[in-house]
Amino acid sequence: MNKSTLIIVGILLIFGMYGCSSYNGLVGKDQDVKGKWANVQTQYQRRSDLIPNLVNTVKGAADFEKSTLTAVIQARASATAVNIKADDLTPANIQKFQAAQDQLSGALSRLLVSVEKYPDLKANQNFLELQSQLEGTENRIAVARNDFNTSVQGYNSSALSFPTVIFAKMFGFAEKGFFQASDSAQAAPSVKF
Amino acid sequence: MLNRFFLLLFFIQSLAFAQDIPQKPNPVRFVNDLVGGLLSQGEIDQLEQKLKAYNDSTSTQIAIVIVNSVQPYDISEYAVKLGREWGVGQKDKNNGIVLLWAPSDRKVFIATGYGVEGGLTDAYSKRIIEEVIKPNFKESRYYQGLDEATNRIFKYLAGEFDADPSTTNTGSWEDLLFMVVFFIIVVVFILKPRGGGYNGGTSNTTYTSWGSSSGSSSSDYDSSSSSSDFGGGSFGGGGAGGDY
Repeated sequence: MNKSTLIIVGILLIFGMYGCSSYNGLVGKDQDVKGKWANVQTQYQRRSDLIPNLVNTVKGAADFEKSTLTAVIQARASATAVNIKADDLTPANIQKFQAAQDQLSGALSRLLVSVEKYPDLKANQNFLELQSQLEGTENRIAVARNDFNTSVQGYNSSALSFPTVIFAKMFGFAEKGFFQASDSAQAAPSVKF
Repeated sequence: MLNRFFLLLFFIQSLAFAQDIPQKPNPVRFVNDLVGGLLSQGEIDQLEQKLKAYNDSTSTQIAIVIVNSVQPYDISEYAVKLGREWGVGQKDKNNGIVLLWAPSDRKVFIATGYGVEGGLTDAYSKRIIEEVIKPNFKESRYYQGLDEATNRIFKYLAGEFDADPSTTNTGSWEDLLFMVVFFIIVVVFILKPRGGGYNGGTSNTTYTSWGSSSGSSSSDYDSSSSSSDFGGGSFGGGGAGGDY
Protein backbone atom coordinates (compact mmCIF):
# COMPACT_ATOMS: atom_id res chain seq x y z
CA MET A 1 0.00 0.00 0.00
CA ASN A 2 1.54 3.30 -0.97
CA LYS A 3 1.14 6.65 0.66
CA SER A 4 -1.64 8.05 -1.54
CA THR A 5 -3.95 5.05 -0.96
CA LEU A 6 -3.42 5.46 2.77
CA ILE A 7 -4.43 9.09 2.54
CA ILE A 8 -7.50 8.23 0.51
CA VAL A 9 -8.49 5.51 2.97
CA GLY A 10 -7.97 7.96 5.82
CA ILE A 11 -10.14 10.60 4.19
CA LEU A 12 -12.84 8.04 3.45
CA LEU A 13 -12.73 6.87 7.05
CA ILE A 14 -13.12 10.39 8.41
CA PHE A 15 -15.85 11.07 5.90
CA GLY A 16 -17.62 7.86 6.91
CA MET A 17 -17.39 8.61 10.62
CA TYR A 18 -18.66 12.10 10.13
CA GLY A 19 -21.42 10.76 7.94
CA CYS A 20 -22.45 8.30 10.65
CA SER A 21 -22.65 10.94 13.34
CA SER A 22 -24.61 13.37 11.19
CA TYR A 23 -26.90 10.53 10.10
CA ASN A 24 -27.59 9.64 13.72
CA GLY A 25 -28.16 13.26 14.59
CA LEU A 26 -30.64 13.61 11.75
CA VAL A 27 -32.44 10.42 12.76
CA GLY A 28 -32.88 11.73 16.30
CA LYS A 29 -34.22 15.06 15.12
CA ASP A 30 -36.44 13.37 12.57
CA GLN A 31 -37.96 11.20 15.30
CA ASP A 32 -38.53 14.25 17.46
CA VAL A 33 -40.38 15.98 14.63
CA LYS A 34 -42.50 12.87 14.09
CA GLY A 35 -43.40 12.74 17.76
CA LYS A 36 -44.42 16.38 17.75
CA TRP A 37 -46.43 15.81 14.59
CA ALA A 38 -48.30 12.96 16.28
CA ASN A 39 -49.27 15.37 19.03
CA VAL A 40 -50.46 17.95 16.52
CA GLN A 41 -52.63 15.31 14.88
CA THR A 42 -53.99 14.14 18.23
CA GLN A 43 -55.11 17.63 19.12
CA TYR A 44 -56.74 18.22 15.75
CA GLN A 45 -58.41 14.84 16.06
CA ARG A 46 -59.70 15.86 19.47
CA ARG A 47 -61.27 18.94 17.98
CA SER A 48 -62.76 16.89 15.19
CA ASP A 49 -64.26 14.51 17.76
CA LEU A 50 -65.90 17.35 19.65
CA ILE A 51 -67.69 18.73 16.62
CA PRO A 52 -70.50 16.13 16.24
CA ASN A 53 -71.43 16.71 19.88
CA LEU A 54 -71.37 20.44 19.38
CA VAL A 55 -73.49 20.25 16.25
CA ASN A 56 -76.05 18.02 17.96
CA THR A 57 -76.27 20.24 21.01
CA VAL A 58 -76.71 23.34 18.88
CA LYS A 59 -79.28 21.63 16.70
CA GLY A 60 -81.24 20.29 19.66
CA ALA A 61 -81.30 23.45 21.75
CA ALA A 62 -82.43 25.99 19.20
CA ASP A 63 -83.84 26.30 15.73
CA PHE A 64 -80.41 27.07 14.48
CA GLU A 65 -79.57 28.43 11.05
CA LYS A 66 -78.84 25.47 8.80
CA SER A 67 -76.17 27.02 6.58
CA THR A 68 -73.74 27.64 9.45
CA LEU A 69 -74.10 24.08 10.68
CA THR A 70 -73.61 22.49 7.28
CA ALA A 71 -70.54 24.66 6.73
CA VAL A 72 -69.01 23.24 9.90
CA ILE A 73 -69.92 19.67 9.00
CA GLN A 74 -68.48 20.02 5.51
CA ALA A 75 -65.32 21.70 6.71
CA ARG A 76 -64.86 18.90 9.21
CA ALA A 77 -65.26 16.28 6.53
CA SER A 78 -62.71 17.90 4.25
CA ALA A 79 -60.30 18.51 7.13
CA THR A 80 -60.35 14.86 8.19
CA ALA A 81 -59.84 13.84 4.57
CA VAL A 82 -56.45 15.54 4.54
CA ASN A 83 -54.22 13.12 6.34
CA ILE A 84 -50.48 13.63 6.24
CA LYS A 85 -48.18 10.74 7.12
CA ALA A 86 -45.32 11.50 9.48
CA ASP A 87 -42.87 10.43 6.76
CA ASP A 88 -44.16 13.00 4.38
CA LEU A 89 -44.03 16.33 6.16
CA THR A 90 -43.00 18.40 3.16
CA PRO A 91 -43.73 22.14 3.20
CA ALA A 92 -46.42 21.63 0.55
CA ASN A 93 -48.16 18.91 2.57
CA ILE A 94 -48.11 20.93 5.76
CA GLN A 95 -49.59 23.84 3.89
CA LYS A 96 -52.37 21.64 2.55
CA PHE A 97 -53.09 20.25 6.00
CA GLN A 98 -53.11 23.70 7.53
CA ALA A 99 -55.39 25.10 4.86
CA ALA A 100 -57.97 22.38 5.52
CA GLN A 101 -57.81 22.80 9.28
CA ASP A 102 -57.93 26.58 9.06
CA GLN A 103 -61.07 26.34 7.02
CA LEU A 104 -62.63 24.31 9.81
CA SER A 105 -61.44 26.88 12.35
CA GLY A 106 -63.14 29.60 10.36
CA ALA A 107 -66.42 27.68 10.09
CA LEU A 108 -66.33 26.92 13.83
CA SER A 109 -65.73 30.51 14.77
CA ARG A 110 -68.65 31.60 12.62
CA LEU A 111 -70.80 29.04 14.41
CA LEU A 112 -69.73 30.31 17.82
CA VAL A 113 -70.39 33.89 16.78
CA SER A 114 -73.90 33.13 15.59
CA VAL A 115 -74.62 31.39 18.89
CA GLU A 116 -74.66 34.87 20.39
CA LYS A 117 -78.07 35.32 18.83
CA TYR A 118 -79.55 32.41 20.77
CA PRO A 119 -79.80 33.21 24.47
CA ASP A 120 -81.26 29.76 25.27
CA LEU A 121 -78.20 28.11 23.86
CA LYS A 122 -75.82 30.40 25.70
CA ALA A 123 -77.44 29.35 28.97
CA ASN A 124 -77.35 25.65 28.06
CA GLN A 125 -74.98 23.89 30.46
CA ASN A 126 -74.12 21.21 27.93
CA PHE A 127 -73.21 23.80 25.35
CA LEU A 128 -71.08 25.76 27.79
CA GLU A 129 -69.08 22.66 28.70
CA LEU A 130 -68.54 21.84 25.04
CA GLN A 131 -67.52 25.39 24.38
CA SER A 132 -64.90 25.31 27.13
CA GLN A 133 -63.60 21.99 25.83
CA LEU A 134 -63.36 23.44 22.36
CA GLU A 135 -61.50 26.46 23.67
CA GLY A 136 -59.10 24.22 25.56
CA THR A 137 -58.55 22.18 22.43
CA GLU A 138 -57.78 25.28 20.39
CA ASN A 139 -55.20 26.22 23.01
CA ARG A 140 -53.71 22.74 22.89
CA ILE A 141 -53.55 22.91 19.11
CA ALA A 142 -51.68 26.20 19.38
CA VAL A 143 -49.19 24.70 21.82
CA ALA A 144 -48.74 21.51 19.76
CA ARG A 145 -48.19 23.52 16.59
CA ASN A 146 -45.67 25.72 18.32
CA ASP A 147 -43.78 22.70 19.63
CA PHE A 148 -43.86 21.13 16.20
CA ASN A 149 -42.46 24.26 14.61
CA THR A 150 -39.66 24.45 17.15
CA SER A 151 -38.79 20.83 16.44
CA VAL A 152 -38.86 21.35 12.67
CA GLN A 153 -36.66 24.38 13.11
CA GLY A 154 -34.02 22.23 14.82
CA TYR A 155 -34.31 19.54 12.16
CA ASN A 156 -34.21 21.90 9.19
CA SER A 157 -31.30 23.90 10.46
CA SER A 158 -29.31 20.65 10.66
CA ALA A 159 -30.54 19.16 7.42
CA LEU A 160 -29.99 22.32 5.39
CA SER A 161 -26.71 23.59 6.75
CA PHE A 162 -23.30 22.64 5.41
CA PRO A 163 -21.77 20.06 5.65
CA THR A 164 -24.63 17.98 7.09
CA VAL A 165 -26.66 18.85 4.02
CA ILE A 166 -24.46 16.48 1.96
CA PHE A 167 -25.41 13.51 4.12
CA ALA A 168 -29.00 14.68 4.43
CA LYS A 169 -29.27 14.64 0.63
CA MET A 170 -27.48 11.30 0.50
CA PHE A 171 -29.77 9.59 2.99
CA GLY A 172 -32.92 11.35 1.84
CA PHE A 173 -33.64 13.67 4.77
CA ALA A 174 -35.80 16.25 3.09
CA GLU A 175 -36.71 19.68 4.35
CA LYS A 176 -39.88 19.72 6.47
CA GLY A 177 -42.68 22.26 6.53
CA PHE A 178 -43.77 24.74 9.17
CA PHE A 179 -47.14 25.86 10.30
CA GLN A 180 -47.49 29.45 9.36
CA ALA A 181 -49.64 32.06 11.01
CA SER A 182 -52.33 32.95 8.51
CA ASP A 183 -55.22 35.36 8.46
CA SER A 184 -57.75 32.61 8.92
CA ALA A 185 -55.79 31.20 11.85
CA GLN A 186 -56.27 34.52 13.57
CA ALA A 187 -60.00 33.91 13.29
CA ALA A 188 -59.86 30.64 15.25
CA PRO A 189 -62.75 30.38 17.71
CA SER A 190 -62.12 33.04 20.27
CA VAL A 191 -64.92 33.18 22.74
CA LYS A 192 -65.68 36.34 24.61
CA PHE A 193 -67.51 36.48 27.92
CA MET B 1 -35.91 30.79 1.31
CA LEU B 2 -39.27 31.57 2.81
CA ASN B 3 -38.61 28.98 5.46
CA ARG B 4 -35.36 30.63 6.39
CA PHE B 5 -37.30 33.77 6.96
CA PHE B 6 -39.74 31.98 9.24
CA LEU B 7 -36.85 30.41 11.04
CA LEU B 8 -35.59 33.85 11.79
CA LEU B 9 -39.03 34.93 12.87
CA PHE B 10 -39.21 32.05 15.31
CA PHE B 11 -35.86 32.92 16.72
CA ILE B 12 -36.95 36.49 17.30
CA GLN B 13 -40.22 35.34 18.76
CA SER B 14 -38.50 33.01 21.21
CA LEU B 15 -36.19 35.82 22.25
CA ALA B 16 -39.12 38.09 22.84
CA PHE B 17 -40.77 35.42 24.98
CA ALA B 18 -37.70 34.99 27.07
CA GLN B 19 -37.84 38.63 28.00
CA ASP B 20 -41.53 38.76 28.73
CA ILE B 21 -41.94 35.82 31.06
CA PRO B 22 -40.91 36.80 34.59
CA GLN B 23 -38.03 34.91 36.15
CA LYS B 24 -38.75 31.99 38.40
CA PRO B 25 -38.74 33.33 41.96
CA ASN B 26 -35.79 32.36 44.06
CA PRO B 27 -36.51 30.94 46.61
CA VAL B 28 -39.56 29.39 44.99
CA ARG B 29 -42.89 30.74 46.13
CA PHE B 30 -46.33 29.48 45.20
CA VAL B 31 -47.96 32.90 45.43
CA ASN B 32 -46.22 35.47 43.24
CA ASP B 33 -47.68 38.93 43.34
CA LEU B 34 -45.61 40.81 40.80
CA VAL B 35 -48.00 43.77 40.83
CA GLY B 36 -48.50 44.45 44.51
CA GLY B 37 -51.28 46.13 46.41
CA LEU B 38 -54.03 43.71 45.45
CA LEU B 39 -53.51 41.31 48.31
CA SER B 40 -52.26 42.13 51.79
CA GLN B 41 -49.09 40.48 53.03
CA GLY B 42 -51.16 38.43 55.48
CA GLU B 43 -53.38 37.15 52.69
CA ILE B 44 -50.39 36.23 50.54
CA ASP B 45 -48.83 34.35 53.45
CA GLN B 46 -52.06 32.50 54.14
CA LEU B 47 -52.38 31.38 50.52
CA GLU B 48 -48.71 30.46 50.43
CA GLN B 49 -49.08 28.29 53.53
CA LYS B 50 -52.11 26.59 52.06
CA LEU B 51 -50.48 25.81 48.71
CA LYS B 52 -47.25 24.69 50.35
CA ALA B 53 -49.18 22.28 52.57
CA TYR B 54 -51.05 21.03 49.51
CA ASN B 55 -47.78 20.45 47.68
CA ASP B 56 -46.38 18.60 50.68
CA SER B 57 -49.38 16.31 50.98
CA THR B 58 -50.20 15.66 47.31
CA SER B 59 -47.09 16.77 45.36
CA THR B 60 -49.45 18.83 43.20
CA GLN B 61 -48.09 22.31 42.68
CA ILE B 62 -50.38 25.27 42.23
CA ALA B 63 -48.69 28.55 41.38
CA ILE B 64 -50.68 31.76 41.65
CA VAL B 65 -49.01 34.39 39.52
CA ILE B 66 -50.17 38.00 39.28
CA VAL B 67 -48.62 39.96 36.43
CA ASN B 68 -49.65 43.42 35.39
CA SER B 69 -50.48 42.51 31.79
CA VAL B 70 -49.93 39.63 29.38
CA GLN B 71 -50.04 41.86 26.31
CA PRO B 72 -49.34 41.28 23.48
CA TYR B 73 -49.84 37.56 24.09
CA ASP B 74 -52.89 35.47 24.55
CA ILE B 75 -53.28 34.75 28.26
CA SER B 76 -53.35 30.97 27.69
CA GLU B 77 -50.14 31.15 25.67
CA TYR B 78 -48.51 33.19 28.41
CA ALA B 79 -49.66 30.83 31.16
CA VAL B 80 -48.35 27.75 29.33
CA LYS B 81 -45.04 29.43 28.66
CA LEU B 82 -44.68 30.50 32.26
CA GLY B 83 -45.66 27.08 33.60
CA ARG B 84 -43.13 25.38 31.36
CA GLU B 85 -40.34 27.82 32.06
CA TRP B 86 -40.80 27.66 35.81
CA GLY B 87 -41.48 23.93 35.67
CA VAL B 88 -44.54 23.97 37.89
CA GLY B 89 -45.52 20.41 38.90
CA GLN B 90 -43.48 17.23 39.27
CA LYS B 91 -41.47 16.17 36.26
CA ASP B 92 -42.80 12.61 36.13
CA LYS B 93 -46.42 13.54 36.87
CA ASN B 94 -46.77 16.93 35.20
CA ASN B 95 -49.19 17.86 37.96
CA GLY B 96 -48.74 21.59 37.95
CA ILE B 97 -51.37 24.30 37.77
CA VAL B 98 -50.78 27.95 37.00
CA LEU B 99 -53.45 30.39 38.07
CA LEU B 100 -52.49 33.47 36.12
CA TRP B 101 -54.12 36.81 36.80
CA ALA B 102 -53.49 39.97 34.79
CA PRO B 103 -55.27 42.83 36.59
CA SER B 104 -54.81 45.49 33.93
CA ASP B 105 -56.24 43.15 31.29
CA ARG B 106 -58.92 42.02 33.78
CA LYS B 107 -58.20 38.44 32.73
CA VAL B 108 -57.71 35.24 34.67
CA PHE B 109 -56.55 31.89 33.36
CA ILE B 110 -56.14 28.47 34.93
CA ALA B 111 -53.53 26.46 33.02
CA THR B 112 -53.38 22.76 33.77
CA GLY B 113 -50.33 20.52 33.35
CA TYR B 114 -50.57 17.38 31.22
CA GLY B 115 -51.15 15.19 34.26
CA VAL B 116 -53.91 17.31 35.78
CA GLU B 117 -56.05 17.54 32.65
CA GLY B 118 -57.96 14.39 33.55
CA GLY B 119 -59.07 15.54 37.01
CA LEU B 120 -59.35 19.25 36.43
CA THR B 121 -60.87 19.27 32.96
CA ASP B 122 -61.23 22.43 30.91
CA ALA B 123 -64.92 22.48 31.74
CA TYR B 124 -64.16 22.40 35.49
CA SER B 125 -61.59 25.14 35.11
CA LYS B 126 -64.19 27.17 33.28
CA ARG B 127 -66.67 26.58 36.09
CA ILE B 128 -64.17 27.80 38.65
CA ILE B 129 -63.61 30.93 36.61
CA GLU B 130 -67.32 31.54 36.07
CA GLU B 131 -68.67 30.60 39.48
CA VAL B 132 -65.89 31.59 41.86
CA ILE B 133 -63.38 33.99 40.35
CA LYS B 134 -65.64 36.25 38.34
CA PRO B 135 -68.26 37.08 41.01
CA ASN B 136 -65.58 37.71 43.64
CA PHE B 137 -63.21 39.67 41.43
CA LYS B 138 -66.02 41.89 40.17
CA GLU B 139 -66.59 42.95 43.79
CA SER B 140 -62.81 43.31 44.31
CA ARG B 141 -62.83 40.41 46.79
CA TYR B 142 -59.56 39.10 45.38
CA TYR B 143 -58.43 37.02 48.32
CA GLN B 144 -61.78 35.29 48.65
CA GLY B 145 -61.80 34.55 44.92
CA LEU B 146 -58.35 32.99 44.95
CA ASP B 147 -58.97 31.17 48.23
CA GLU B 148 -62.22 29.59 47.04
CA ALA B 149 -60.76 28.85 43.62
CA THR B 150 -57.92 26.85 45.15
CA ASN B 151 -60.46 25.03 47.35
CA ARG B 152 -62.39 24.04 44.25
CA ILE B 153 -59.21 22.85 42.55
CA PHE B 154 -58.45 20.72 45.63
CA LYS B 155 -61.94 19.28 45.41
CA TYR B 156 -61.69 18.34 41.74
CA LEU B 157 -58.26 16.81 42.17
CA ALA B 158 -59.09 14.94 45.39
CA GLY B 159 -57.46 11.51 45.25
CA GLU B 160 -55.67 12.10 41.96
CA PHE B 161 -52.13 12.35 43.29
CA ASP B 162 -50.19 11.13 46.29
CA ALA B 163 -47.32 12.82 47.94
CA ASP B 164 -43.87 12.04 46.62
CA PRO B 165 -41.87 9.98 49.07
CA SER B 166 -39.03 12.44 48.68
CA THR B 167 -41.11 15.50 49.41
CA THR B 168 -42.97 14.01 52.39
CA ASN B 169 -39.66 13.52 54.10
CA THR B 170 -39.65 17.06 55.42
CA GLY B 171 -40.32 16.25 59.10
CA SER B 172 -37.55 18.20 60.76
CA TRP B 173 -36.45 15.57 63.31
CA GLU B 174 -36.24 12.89 60.60
CA ASP B 175 -33.99 15.10 58.55
CA LEU B 176 -31.91 15.87 61.58
CA LEU B 177 -31.51 12.17 62.38
CA PHE B 178 -30.53 11.48 58.78
CA MET B 179 -27.99 14.27 58.86
CA VAL B 180 -26.46 13.03 62.10
CA VAL B 181 -26.15 9.45 60.79
CA PHE B 182 -24.75 10.72 57.50
CA PHE B 183 -22.28 12.92 59.31
CA ILE B 184 -21.11 10.03 61.44
CA ILE B 185 -20.60 7.87 58.35
CA VAL B 186 -18.64 10.60 56.62
CA VAL B 187 -16.47 11.19 59.69
CA VAL B 188 -15.83 7.47 60.08
CA PHE B 189 -14.79 7.14 56.45
CA ILE B 190 -12.59 10.18 56.51
CA LEU B 191 -10.85 9.14 59.70
CA LYS B 192 -10.31 5.53 58.67
CA PRO B 193 -7.59 5.97 56.01
CA ARG B 194 -5.82 8.50 58.18
CA GLY B 195 -5.63 6.00 61.05
CA GLY B 196 -4.57 3.14 58.77
CA GLY B 197 -2.09 5.27 56.93
CA TYR B 198 -2.26 3.29 53.69
CA ASN B 199 -2.64 4.59 50.16
CA GLY B 200 -1.18 7.97 50.85
CA GLY B 201 -1.50 9.17 47.25
CA THR B 202 -5.07 8.14 46.52
CA SER B 203 -6.50 8.91 49.93
CA ASN B 204 -5.97 12.55 49.19
CA THR B 205 -8.33 12.42 46.24
CA THR B 206 -10.83 10.41 48.24
CA TYR B 207 -10.97 13.16 50.84
CA THR B 208 -11.91 15.74 48.29
CA SER B 209 -14.48 13.55 46.61
CA TRP B 210 -16.06 12.78 49.95
CA GLY B 211 -15.88 16.36 50.92
CA SER B 212 -17.66 17.49 47.82
CA SER B 213 -20.30 14.78 48.02
CA SER B 214 -21.17 15.67 51.59
CA GLY B 215 -21.23 19.30 50.55
CA SER B 216 -23.72 18.71 47.74
CA SER B 217 -25.96 16.55 49.88
CA SER B 218 -26.13 19.21 52.55
CA SER B 219 -27.23 21.74 49.95
CA ASP B 220 -29.92 19.26 48.85
CA TYR B 221 -31.02 19.17 52.43
CA ASP B 222 -31.21 22.95 52.56
CA SER B 223 -33.34 23.27 49.46
CA SER B 224 -35.79 20.59 50.53
CA SER B 225 -36.32 22.00 53.98
CA SER B 226 -36.42 25.73 53.35
CA SER B 227 -38.70 25.70 50.31
CA SER B 228 -40.00 23.08 47.93
CA ASP B 229 -38.79 23.72 44.41
CA PHE B 230 -40.90 23.44 41.30
CA GLY B 231 -40.40 19.98 39.88
CA GLY B 232 -40.13 20.61 36.13
CA GLY B 233 -43.66 19.72 35.04
CA SER B 234 -44.88 20.53 31.55
CA PHE B 235 -48.01 22.05 30.07
CA GLY B 236 -49.86 21.41 26.84
CA GLY B 237 -52.40 24.20 26.66
CA GLY B 238 -55.15 22.74 28.86
CA GLY B 239 -57.29 24.90 31.11
CA ALA B 240 -59.69 27.77 30.77
CA GLY B 241 -59.89 31.46 31.40
CA GLY B 242 -62.10 34.49 31.20
CA ASP B 243 -62.49 38.21 31.70
CA TYR B 244 -64.03 39.63 34.85
